[in-house]
Amino acid sequence: MTDPKPGITEREAIEQAQQGNEAAFEVLYNLHKRRVYSLCLRMVSNPVQAEDLAQEAFLQLFRKIATFRGESAFSTWLHRMTVNVVLMQLRKKNLPVVSLEETLETDDQFPRKEFGAKDVKLTGSIDRMQLQRAIDRLPPGYKSVFVLHDIEGFEHNEIAQMVGCSVGNSKSQLHKARLKLRDYLKFMRAEKAKTG
Amino acid sequence: MASIHLTNLHPGKLRQASLGKTTVVTIALATFLSSAALAETKKEYRYTVGPNANVSVDTQYGSISVKPGNSDEVVVTATFKSDNVEIDQQQNGNRIEIDSHLLHGANQQAGHVDYELQVPPDATVNLHSSNGPLSVERLKGDITLEGSDAVVNVSNVENGHVYVQTMRGSITLTNVRNGHVEIASISGDLNLKSVTGPMVQACTGSGKIFYDGDFGSSGNYRFTTHSGDIEALVSADVSADFRVHSVTGRVHHDFPLQPKHSQFPVHLGRSFVGTSGKAASEVVLRSFSGKIRLKQR
Amino acid sequence: MKCSDVEQVLQELLDGEPDSAFEVCSSENTAAMRLAAPDVEAHLKSCPACAELAADLKLISNQAHQLAASEEPPSRVWVRIAAELRAEGLITEPTKIEPVSIRPAFIPALIASRARWSAWWLAPIAAGLIVAGSFVVSHQAALQVARHTPATQATNPATVSSLNPAPASVSIPGPKTAAATSPAGSEPARQELAQKPARATDLAGRAAEDAVEPAPSDEDQQFLSVVSTMAPYTRASYKNELQAVNKDILETQAYVNQNPGDMDARQHLIDAYQQKALLYQIAMDHVQ
Repeated sequence: MTDPKPGITEREAIEQAQQGNEAAFEVLYNLHKRRVYSLCLRMVSNPVQAEDLAQEAFLQLFRKIATFRGESAFSTWLHRMTVNVVLMQLRKKNLPVVSLEETLETDDQFPRKEFGAKDVKLTGSIDRMQLQRAIDRLPPGYKSVFVLHDIEGFEHNEIAQMVGCSVGNSKSQLHKARLKLRDYLKFMRAEKAKTG
Repeated sequence: MASIHLTNLHPGKLRQASLGKTTVVTIALATFLSSAALAETKKEYRYTVGPNANVSVDTQYGSISVKPGNSDEVVVTATFKSDNVEIDQQQNGNRIEIDSHLLHGANQQAGHVDYELQVPPDATVNLHSSNGPLSVERLKGDITLEGSDAVVNVSNVENGHVYVQTMRGSITLTNVRNGHVEIASISGDLNLKSVTGPMVQACTGSGKIFYDGDFGSSGNYRFTTHSGDIEALVSADVSADFRVHSVTGRVHHDFPLQPKHSQFPVHLGRSFVGTSGKAASEVVLRSFSGKIRLKQR
Repeated sequence: MKCSDVEQVLQELLDGEPDSAFEVCSSENTAAMRLAAPDVEAHLKSCPACAELAADLKLISNQAHQLAASEEPPSRVWVRIAAELRAEGLITEPTKIEPVSIRPAFIPALIASRARWSAWWLAPIAAGLIVAGSFVVSHQAALQVARHTPATQATNPATVSSLNPAPASVSIPGPKTAAATSPAGSEPARQELAQKPARATDLAGRAAEDAVEPAPSDEDQQFLSVVSTMAPYTRASYKNELQAVNKDILETQAYVNQNPGDMDARQHLIDAYQQKALLYQIAMDHVQ
């Protein structure tokens, strides 16, 4: 893959991409590839699917690049498009985007929150790998809202519009997701302390 | 409503989520597969369906065979040896989709999944496998089969449309009647035995086409090859209007045909036209460089 | 205020706007918060469990934000994107012609519904091959009648190269809906085609010459490159089949050059292009 041309701004890259310049497309891809791919990976927890989704998000963006007029940030546009691509895929697979009710969880590996709360504290920073694993374990509905809000920075009214739920539901799902992550992380920390 | 029965569960991680009326079972993946043979795992899925169910099975590697079963149920049995393959299955009303795909690090052997299906006889069936084989028998719905190297067998099918395509795999149709038939291969051989219908098209590049039947049903039959030979073995009472031409190969018929006036230019040894019986069906056999033989049983 | 009451409002506390009634911040060692509501503040000061809960949730939220843009996609993602952009004509190159896609006469309808994401670009190329083949064949007849000189047109198909033979420099735009429909993005292509009618004759003439001295086809190289990337163990099979269909096309084209009035031969040439399109479409379905 060629390195991005030094000195070219995003705006210049957009203009050149609109003219069909391949290097300009590549510059835009390199500028945003991590964010797009990471978002896809967090949402579906499957690297192969995440690749396909990231590819599709970029393709949809590049196909419409001629219509981009700069009224909003390019990254915001791409970001939203990526979320739409992922949500469409989740819907296609009949996976819940947001749970409208409590999901049934039979995951005995992570016991109820009372277990760890008394003994383990989450002080300091959280191990990134543990946090990733914990997020992957979240039920699909909780995961979507958590990823969109806490990782990607969308507001609840934006999330509600994208996933088709109420703002209240989005807030409730987020809170439950955080509580569940706290339980998972405490359990993991306790297990790690046991094994040394 | 789908119910899931699991036997010989592989000691991998299993996660189950309830999704309204559809139950999805997925197999979590291991990252790398050792070269040692793993225990065979079978999974069975059952679905309740109404009339005209639509069943699709898509596997990168592995065989798929379909037979008729109960009229209100689809039963799918998947057999695999590795946990480096993931099976997704879902039901939306009368439409069932089964999809197995390789996970990171999986090769052809590890990703092999064999399917056996029992479907209602009127079901529409779509099968897709690179190496196959694919087989369908005794159904009455539409059938679509795609394979790359897959050997394909379709037998005792009536009333439904049959579409088959392969790259190199041979295609054999036996006793297929009363529907549209379109089969195509790049280099695979095409064998049609007792195949009749309103439209039968067979096309292969370097493969051969062999037909054994009566060109019945007042149908339109078109067989085309580039370099492969075409051989048609017909009954004595065949009723057809024949047009046969090879651009650079030889053509031959071993029973008399009634001459007919035609705009089609006739070059001795490379083409002929003529009718047999009441000329109810139209039969066009074409090759660029292959030999074409029309023989009577 | 009870612990359960505080937990009810924790989410609002953590995510509230900076100028709202509640503002929360936490330090590393203590769950210290500055709140406008005295009840909640008082409770948190007096209840270590709730204070710890609030701090933990805030920590999780803050740490999560660092996961954004933390993963790098494999390089093949760009390869696929670039290939698709070229196939759709979004990456423009000066010598390309962009024919309109049509549905091939004899490719079973099943193909349109089964194409996979990762090889969508092959579909419009497959359709384009049919168009290009039909285009070449229909124009070639008129051209060759004018040029035909039996003594000079003898060609030995066996001497031609095995990798060619699509008409030179054809690029195909197209949507994701395979070979079935005219692409939404083809309007610029149609306009370009309409503006350059003189190129049809050039194309037919070049194709006739290409049958004798072919230039490597960009699409074939691209096709094999993608197959190599996505399913390397199938490359040999696809290459063999591609060589075979290309040989058939060249052989038929050479015959048509010599016998421009042979309608059946011309139909076989179109059939040969259709076979090549079928090969592309099979790859589209099976290469992952």
